[in-house]
Amino acid sequence: MTHITKEELLKIARMSNLELKEEEIPSLIAQIQSVLTYAERVQDVASKTIDTSELPKNSNVFRPDIAVKTDSEPILEQAPQREQNYFVVPVILEN
Amino acid sequence: MKNLAFASIVELRNAFAKNEISSAELLDYFVQRFERYDKDLGSALEIFDKESIIKKYTPGTILNAIPGIIKDNICQQDRITSCSSKILQNFRATYDATAIARLKKAGALLVGRANCDEFAMGSSTETSAYQKTKNPWDPNRVPGGSSGGSIAAVAAGLVPWSLGSETGGSVRQPAAFCGIVGLKPTYGLISRYGLIAYASSMDQIGIATRTVEDNAIVLSAIAGKDASDSTTANVEPKDYTKNIAAGIKKGLKIGVIENALYAQGMDPEIVKAIETALEEYKKLGAEVRTISLPSMDYGAAIYFILSRAEAASNLARFDGVRYGYRSKNSETLAHMYANSRQEGFGEEVKARILVGNYVLSVGHADQFYNNALKAQQVMRQEFMKAFHDVDVLVAPTHPVPAFKFGAFADNKLQMDLQDYFTCPMNIIGIPALNIPCGFTKDNLPIGFQLVGPHFSEELLFQVAHAYEQMTPWHTMHPKGFE
Repeated sequence: MTHITKEELLKIARMSNLELKEEEIPSLIAQIQSVLTYAERVQDVASKTIDTSELPKNSNVFRPDIAVKTDSEPILEQAPQREQNYFVVPVILEN
Repeated sequence: MKNLAFASIVELRNAFAKNEISSAELLDYFVQRFERYDKDLGSALEIFDKESIIKKYTPGTILNAIPGIIKDNICQQDRITSCSSKILQNFRATYDATAIARLKKAGALLVGRANCDEFAMGSSTETSAYQKTKNPWDPNRVPGGSSGGSIAAVAAGLVPWSLGSETGGSVRQPAAFCGIVGLKPTYGLISRYGLIAYASSMDQIGIATRTVEDNAIVLSAIAGKDASDSTTANVEPKDYTKNIAAGIKKGLKIGVIENALYAQGMDPEIVKAIETALEEYKKLGAEVRTISLPSMDYGAAIYFILSRAEAASNLARFDGVRYGYRSKNSETLAHMYANSRQEGFGEEVKARILVGNYVLSVGHADQFYNNALKAQQVMRQEFMKAFHDVDVLVAPTHPVPAFKFGAFADNKLQMDLQDYFTCPMNIIGIPALNIPCGFTKDNLPIGFQLVGPHFSEELLFQVAHAYEQMTPWHTMHPKGFE
């Protein structure tokens, strides 16, 4: 049974750029634990050895290295805050 | 003029070709149906103004002047494309998805954007940040999800076709709940360019219609290799309707996945309806045999892990910097990211991102993500081996009929397990088609899936069409939408 602590959840939330509210945490832990406990069963199947010769294989798809120019204005004009070709954001480093 | 509401694409095309109706009249007719019924049904987030629809229309070929609606996670140029989320509430797509461009080339009239679960995450359309969509057959029940809006609009006769998207069953399951035809194509058959990504290795645009032939028409308009999507297969566009009425070959081998059909929790009425459908196939000359695919028991587990891992990566781009919702009053960039995402994403989306990053993180990736990848290969192999012995597989689409709103509010795992029968095909990348096969005693639709090997859509359509033509289901429509 997967067990997530509040600390671990907050660490994952930081990695996910999510700021969780205190009251959300218990139900999130419950929900995540139940999904993951169910999902643990993949380890039963993972140990099976299989013949991969018939399975589809991925291959890379390339295109010519030619730059394509598109008009950036339609995207820039949707920015919450912009200045010329720049997106304006709050200060990056805290004092 | 006969009632057009539940006319097929073929019938509408014929009426248009014989000059019985003009493109403007067709558009008018269906837009009015939304005006009359959709305030209550809630299938569309937006129906575009007629002028702009006509402006974007050029005469085409196989879908000429045929109106349809598009799920809110597929980019239509200059239209808001919000994935039913607040975080994209004001985002206007700056380009057409390839599927959209091809639909326009075929002459389709794109009337609006359909409601869905937020970022396509859900099985009931209840997680949409904007509104609920009702099941046209029972307003107290969900239409299924995540493409509930697209499917409900077609089932209620508001449009003859729609596009949804599939990652774990999001077109087939609602199609089953609403009694219509829903296709999940082979991975790589339809371009994902312009489909806002949830799980890139599984996402595919799906098609909803009321008849099998209509479904093949829409597929013919949009399928095929796309230079803008390197995950599309090297397949040329083709006419999927050409041999659709050929019937099934004598001795067609149908493999019924018995550990699916007789799984614990299956509603007995659904089992009975599927067994009856199999009897019809026997009458048509098919050879029906039962097979066991034990890996199906692991499909949902594999899907939970892989889809959420990919979603966590794909949704990292929504950060309030360049487009969409940005939280106000954030003092630093880091706060702006966190606040925008916290305020812009709904509960289900946040939960899935957290699960996704958890299963990818150090200390857990081996147990979950890497094992899920290995299990995926086992599942792939088992299914591909099965197709050595049978031509198509039959499986349930759904374990229970359309459930009531809020039924799984306290049991998210049970909600997630609604994908149990559909997600294996997404994991493996093979095509599957839901077709209606009856009703419960409460008059709720029942569907089942035909599943084939990679790129067998033409066969699936033939096999489905043969059954459809000998049954009444495609002629039956929900009351209240006359």
